[in-house]
Amino acid sequence: MIEAVETATGFILFAVLAVALYHQWRRGKSLQAQLAAAEAALEQLQRACSRLAPAGVVQRLVADGIQSNAGLVAERKVATAMFVDLVGFSAMSERLDPELLLRVINGYYQRMSDAIDEHRGQVGSFVGDGIVAYFGAIQPNPWECDDAVRAALAMRAAIREYNVELEHEGLPPISIGIGIDRGPGLAGLLGSYERREYTFIGRAVNLAARIQTLTRIHQVDILVSEALRAALAPEFIVAPMPAEAVKGFAESVVTYAVRGVQPILSRLTRAEERDNVEHT
Amino acid sequence: MPRVLDHVAWEACLVEPHPDQGLEAYARRKTGIPLPSIRYFAPVPWLARALVDLHPEYGLLMYLDQNVADLLTLVVSQENSCRFCYAAQRALLWGLGMSEDRIQRVQQELSASLAPRTAAAIAFGRSQSRTGPAGAWDARQALCRAGFSGEEIKEIAFTTAATDFLNRACTIPAIPVRPLERMPGQLRMRLLRPLIKRILERHRFRGQAMPPEPTPSYPYGRLIEKYVGSPIAVALGRTIEEMLASSHLTPRCKLLMFAIIARGLGSEVDALDIGEALEREGLNELTFTRVLTHLEAPELDDIERLLLRFARETIWYDPAALQRRARTLLDRLSVPQFLEAAGVAALANGLCRMAAMVMDHP
Repeated sequence: MIEAVETATGFILFAVLAVALYHQWRRGKSLQAQLAAAEAALEQLQRACSRLAPAGVVQRLVADGIQSNAGLVAERKVATAMFVDLVGFSAMSERLDPELLLRVINGYYQRMSDAIDEHRGQVGSFVGDGIVAYFGAIQPNPWECDDAVRAALAMRAAIREYNVELEHEGLPPISIGIGIDRGPGLAGLLGSYERREYTFIGRAVNLAARIQTLTRIHQVDILVSEALRAALAPEFIVAPMPAEAVKGFAESVVTYAVRGVQPILSRLTRAEERDNVEHT
Repeated sequence: MPRVLDHVAWEACLVEPHPDQGLEAYARRKTGIPLPSIRYFAPVPWLARALVDLHPEYGLLMYLDQNVADLLTLVVSQENSCRFCYAAQRALLWGLGMSEDRIQRVQQELSASLAPRTAAAIAFGRSQSRTGPAGAWDARQALCRAGFSGEEIKEIAFTTAATDFLNRACTIPAIPVRPLERMPGQLRMRLLRPLIKRILERHRFRGQAMPPEPTPSYPYGRLIEKYVGSPIAVALGRTIEEMLASSHLTPRCKLLMFAIIARGLGSEVDALDIGEALEREGLNELTFTRVLTHLEAPELDDIERLLLRFARETIWYDPAALQRRARTLLDRLSVPQFLEAAGVAALANGLCRMAAMVMDHP
């Protein structure tokens, strides 16, 4: 009888132990899965961050922590700055319902951001109805000037398309002014202890903002600085504008309106055209 | 269990597989296992062979610990978000007997479980994938401090660059990933695992010293010279020669793609070296400068113009966005031209990054 009780007790103890081990094993597996999921989320976050700041900066932040001084390292670099402003926003905001206004504005932001993104630029910030974008500030980009102007032309085309949509809905059309300049500046994580963002600051950024205001005076939508025009590919069609004084700059600023881009005919296309002419 | 790249969008494959018994047999002889993915590259034989010949797993490394090289390949693929190579490397490590837990720990860089040298090599792979040649000097110094010899560092640079090449070559045409991702979970594969392990181990061999060959005259010849005596020099040299000899794209187009990628990565020296080769192809200096500065010149033909713009997109990329851009190429290019362009861009990215690590640029 005692033996039977001992055997049963042993069996129960063994079963309890097995169940506990099984639970422990399942808990371990579950924790492991959670860790893997957290890792995947972190990886995704890190990848998203690399669109907002250079990979090196993100890497140092991940390694050293945001509270450290890692992000405070700034570097001097030459980059292209773009300012975009929605013309006549104040008048529009008085006429439209807030919900409708929000939809129109968000549609504008989305289209402008897509054009910037498509041409290797980075949206720095949305300032009211304006957008600040940089080219070549986060990743080195030897074609940043051409990219910035191509982005501006894409934005012009996007606004045209958007206006067709707005017109169908009986909404007023929108227009934009874009100013672009290129020059040296300071790039780094700037801001308060609680909130920092990767920013490019310097004369080029200020001048791009001023040039953008000149679009209203010259009645054009895209204006670039002298420095940017000098770096542009020859196929861009630009027209010089009269020099204008701008706030914060001692000398008058010469700008160029961007009309478009002339497609370069390839050797093949030119030969085909010659053949056609000869046949004619 | 979720894998770190599960969230990475991956387009449907851009090309059809083309069975090619010769190439498949070549890959099987070298790796010991069937490589169905090679069929996607069959229209461009140099590229299909290079995917096997430049894989750091098979007889190329003489000094670097093979296990370190394996982990390096895994983390670089992870960094480059190449779901195909990442899944392939995970499957390889799993086949070689590494547990899922161990693979997970490596990815999480739980350095306590890794030897300091392994951790340093992994950190190097990550930093190189993220910062490119700009961070090469610091990265090389970190490896020296970790105690790697000069020869080992060269092999680490090669392993990272070869993985960069494999990643882009498989990402651009969006080679299907599901079969590889599912493999370790399949019952029949689990049952076959001991056999797979034996086959893989039998085909995994160390590189043997090779007799030195004269410095080649093509671009990156001086880089290959740095590896003289190593099987890496032979494999790289043969790949570059075959790539330039392949007729789907002109040598000028391929060299221009090389030059654009070198410039995009900030390697002016490499771009100028390639310029010399382009001069021999009849491209004058003025045109070359204009192409480097603006990606355009009236002297370019339509395919060159198209592929130069595409080449720069391969430098820093998001896989799905790159695959979407690549898809648009198929409207203008034949499949062999498309695959060759993918291979050239992949090789140029790998070589340029490798040169930054190994060459002492002024």
